[in-house]
Amino acid sequence: MKKFVSIFLVLALMISSFAGCAKKDETNTGANATPAATSEPAKEEATETPKPDVTIKVAAIETAYGADMWTKVCAAFTAKTGIKVELTTDKSLEDVIGAGMKAGDYPDVVHLATGRPAALTETLIKENGLEDITDVLSMTVPGEDKKVSDKIAGGFTESSLTNPYNDGKTYMAPMFYSPCGLFFNKGLFAEKGWTVPTTWDEMWELGDKAKADGIALFAYPTAGYFDAFFYALLYEVGGADFFQKATTYADGIWDTAEANKAFDIVEKLASYTEKSVPSNANNDNYLKNQQLILDNKALFMPNGTWVVGEMKDAPRADGFEWGFTALPAIAKGGDAYSYTWFEQLWVPAAAENKDAAKQFVAYMYSDEAAQIFAESGAIQPIVGFADKLEGDNKMFYSIYDNGAKAALGSFAATDPVEGVNFADTVFGTVNSLVSGDKTKAQWIELVKKDSDLLRAALKQ
Amino acid sequence: MHKLPLKKIIIYLILGLLAISIIVPVGWVFIASIKKNNEFYGSPWRLPESFYFQNFMDAWGSAHMGEYMLNSVIVTVVALVILLVVALPAAYCLSRFKFRLRKILNILFMAGLFINVNYIVVPIFLMFIDADKVLKSWGLSPFFLNNIYVLALVYAATALPFTIYLLSGYFVTIPRTYEEAAYIDGSGYLRTMVKVILPMARPSIITVILFNFLSFWNEYIIAITVLTDPKGAKTLPVGLMNLMKAQNAAAQYGRMYAGLVLVMLPTLILYIIVQKKLTQGMTLGGLKE
Amino acid sequence: MKNRGKSVFIFLCVAPAVILFTIFMIIPTINIFKMSLYKWGGYSPNKTFVGFDNFEKLAQDMKFLQAFENTVLLIVIVSVITIAVALVFAAILTREKIVGQNFFRIVFYIPNILSIVIISAIFSAILDSKNGLLNSILALFRDKGSEPVYWLGDQKIVIFSIAMAMIWQAIGYYMVMYMASMASVPESVYESADIEGASRIRQFFSLTIPLIWTNIRTTLTFFIISSINLSFMLVKAMTSGGPDGSTEVFLSYMYKQAYTNSSYGYGMAIGVVVFLFSFALSGIVNLITKREPIEL
Repeated sequence: MKKFVSIFLVLALMISSFAGCAKKDETNTGANATPAATSEPAKEEATETPKPDVTIKVAAIETAYGADMWTKVCAAFTAKTGIKVELTTDKSLEDVIGAGMKAGDYPDVVHLATGRPAALTETLIKENGLEDITDVLSMTVPGEDKKVSDKIAGGFTESSLTNPYNDGKTYMAPMFYSPCGLFFNKGLFAEKGWTVPTTWDEMWELGDKAKADGIALFAYPTAGYFDAFFYALLYEVGGADFFQKATTYADGIWDTAEANKAFDIVEKLASYTEKSVPSNANNDNYLKNQQLILDNKALFMPNGTWVVGEMKDAPRADGFEWGFTALPAIAKGGDAYSYTWFEQLWVPAAAENKDAAKQFVAYMYSDEAAQIFAESGAIQPIVGFADKLEGDNKMFYSIYDNGAKAALGSFAATDPVEGVNFADTVFGTVNSLVSGDKTKAQWIELVKKDSDLLRAALKQ
Repeated sequence: MHKLPLKKIIIYLILGLLAISIIVPVGWVFIASIKKNNEFYGSPWRLPESFYFQNFMDAWGSAHMGEYMLNSVIVTVVALVILLVVALPAAYCLSRFKFRLRKILNILFMAGLFINVNYIVVPIFLMFIDADKVLKSWGLSPFFLNNIYVLALVYAATALPFTIYLLSGYFVTIPRTYEEAAYIDGSGYLRTMVKVILPMARPSIITVILFNFLSFWNEYIIAITVLTDPKGAKTLPVGLMNLMKAQNAAAQYGRMYAGLVLVMLPTLILYIIVQKKLTQGMTLGGLKE
Repeated sequence: MKNRGKSVFIFLCVAPAVILFTIFMIIPTINIFKMSLYKWGGYSPNKTFVGFDNFEKLAQDMKFLQAFENTVLLIVIVSVITIAVALVFAAILTREKIVGQNFFRIVFYIPNILSIVIISAIFSAILDSKNGLLNSILALFRDKGSEPVYWLGDQKIVIFSIAMAMIWQAIGYYMVMYMASMASVPESVYESADIEGASRIRQFFSLTIPLIWTNIRTTLTFFIISSINLSFMLVKAMTSGGPDGSTEVFLSYMYKQAYTNSSYGYGMAIGVVVFLFSFALSGIVNLITKREPIEL
């Protein structure tokens, strides 16, 4: 084999020189950057000792907020600390950095949320590939005199979305939060004289009324959007304690009355769902499902605040106006929940410039950075920041002031279990409920089976 | 066939239907490429309100499709050259000479038909990483990843089994008398192959070129894996995939369809040019074991 | 001396192909077989040897079995329909006097030169349940207000929608291939059949098909190989395996496991199964379809 390899090397070199073009100079993978100091992470001194000769590589997913804000924030960070930033943004960041990471070429900071189809972040969690950034919380925000932990709004660094191993250590920094709930056309409700339901019973009543008018009660972009919906529902049926048990796959949890209530609601909702939804419930066609709301073909869809930007060019019914509500409560006077979706920023364990990377993480919570992000519509989870918002965003972010409770968290990370993708099992099956290919009982069976397998693989 | 004209009518009807089922959708892609973004919601079959050429400018310029097109041309041409230089002599020898390893090699290349590029792409990628690490440790700059010429080499290599199979099938149909006459005239092996046999195999070579041009031009899985540098070179289909990624980001339909047209046009043109030769070269007898 | 020269010539001709083939196809394939015995997420350095564990899990993985079933179904439907249609069209275009014969031949081949991305965009638009071309045409024949057909949403139908796209793509390719071999059948054979009074349909079954049988056999292997590949690319672009896994095929499931479920070794085990399966299936098909070649 060795011989073959060397023959091949020669051959390949010959071909390239024959073609007269060895590729243009490769991006030198951090070879010119000074290696990170081996000392303890600089805590208080962090802001006072800029390292001007360091360049960190930042990779950020480009979402509906656009890529410009990242360019601006990185420039502002360099101006503040002297640390240079090499920024990569892409709509499909996994494809861009995933290959390089396999090659051992890691960015220093990555902004990429969990819950994406490619599941790169989840893979690194499962593989213990994230750096512990708990110490960032006690760092001072660059350019300010407050500690990071004093600026991040309450609850955001306590769920499994930032502390995936439930060990009190933070591995991912919370970014750009967005309340998730049900979106609807306010104009249509005014026109028909309907009120937004506050309990599920009122919801079904409205569903029957709408059906008479030829409007479906419900639509969803893809089954994956049930994550935020289902998490909030778990909180509604059983509160925080139940949520904790369910998301850590507690034995027998799916047989409880609370769980059954949640399954019931989803099953019933499936029967009220517009029939064409599963046809388009994939990454290429989901906009058609969102369009149902704008065309008054369906009343509600679960979504996040980004949907407004996503559909800004789409045609809409006359008098259309975005409305947004938390999930209806189980019973009159019960708690209504809205899931707080947020994105995550993390430092790979294999990053080269961890100290500088952590300063970058801390800088994300400065007023300066938050302001730049907010101009593009991305809202940082900073204490009191939502009060300064205007327009649509003011309505969206005030949902928690109007009585809805915030639901936070997600299914706990496990070691990889071959053949088991819990999101597909719990959420993906909704497509089959709508089309009638699976029953509620079959769904629960699948959930229980996978839950058992995942419990055995839970991270210690 | 002087029977019922009804039979003819049915035949034409069926042929016509299939032709329409092809022409209409392909034409639709062209039409969609000049629509404005907001015309994509609602019925996809509505005609465009105006000729919105800006889509092509956007695709060509800001989406870098022009640059990617050049890369694609280079990769495809280099890969085709490597492939022909390597595969023609090999197929010739494997189909016309008797030698010790011939049977094993023929079986191996046949087995190669079953190796699917979609799953060997990652091992190839990991191999390049290791090779680049070795180069680095010798103080050289990395060479294998992010190099469109290496990508061309991979294309050529993965196309070998099918190409050799196709060419061998054609070579065995050429009567031996041509070579024997050449040897009697004192022509050497190489000369005989280049001057006598290859010209005779022209239809088959053209078929091979068209087939492989299509697969190289449209390929994106290897390209996306081996060209890792986000700011580095990309090929046209990879650029197209980028245009199509709409997740959580505002979709640019018009641009995307303009990109589709840019990818499709060269293949259409080449096909129209060589289509006459295509049928002649496709004689597949299957390899005689 | 001559013999030596011949050996050198053969070596120089064959060696480059063998080297490239070994490096880029054989070694990676061996690697896949090796990795299928490991548990590895894809990023970390910890690879654990687990023997045939991955294969045992595969045998019990319902989703894999569904992908298996879907793939086999697609191979069967797509090859049978495509071969039948392509043969008939090839016969019509070579044997009958058709005005615009060239035009049809050129047009039918076009789908084969299109990138999968384009094909999936086209079919998404054709199969759309509300505005799609297919449902608009069907609506002309059905009662007003009847439920539209959910080509990509109904789990009993969606796999056939994928098959439809694959057949559409493949017909021209195989048609041209059959035309090539039909053209090599000497005209005299048909002339004598005409004299004997055999109908065109009869000639098709008892002359054309037996005479190009070797060619049809060869294309069967092509079908197995290309269906596995093509179904993956189409599914990836059209349905992402959905709704609820109902269009998952071999390679789409392999990708999901290897890259999004952090189970690289498990994914490679699927790769091994696919390789062995396609190899074995082609062998079996080859054996079953073996006929004595017709001597003229």
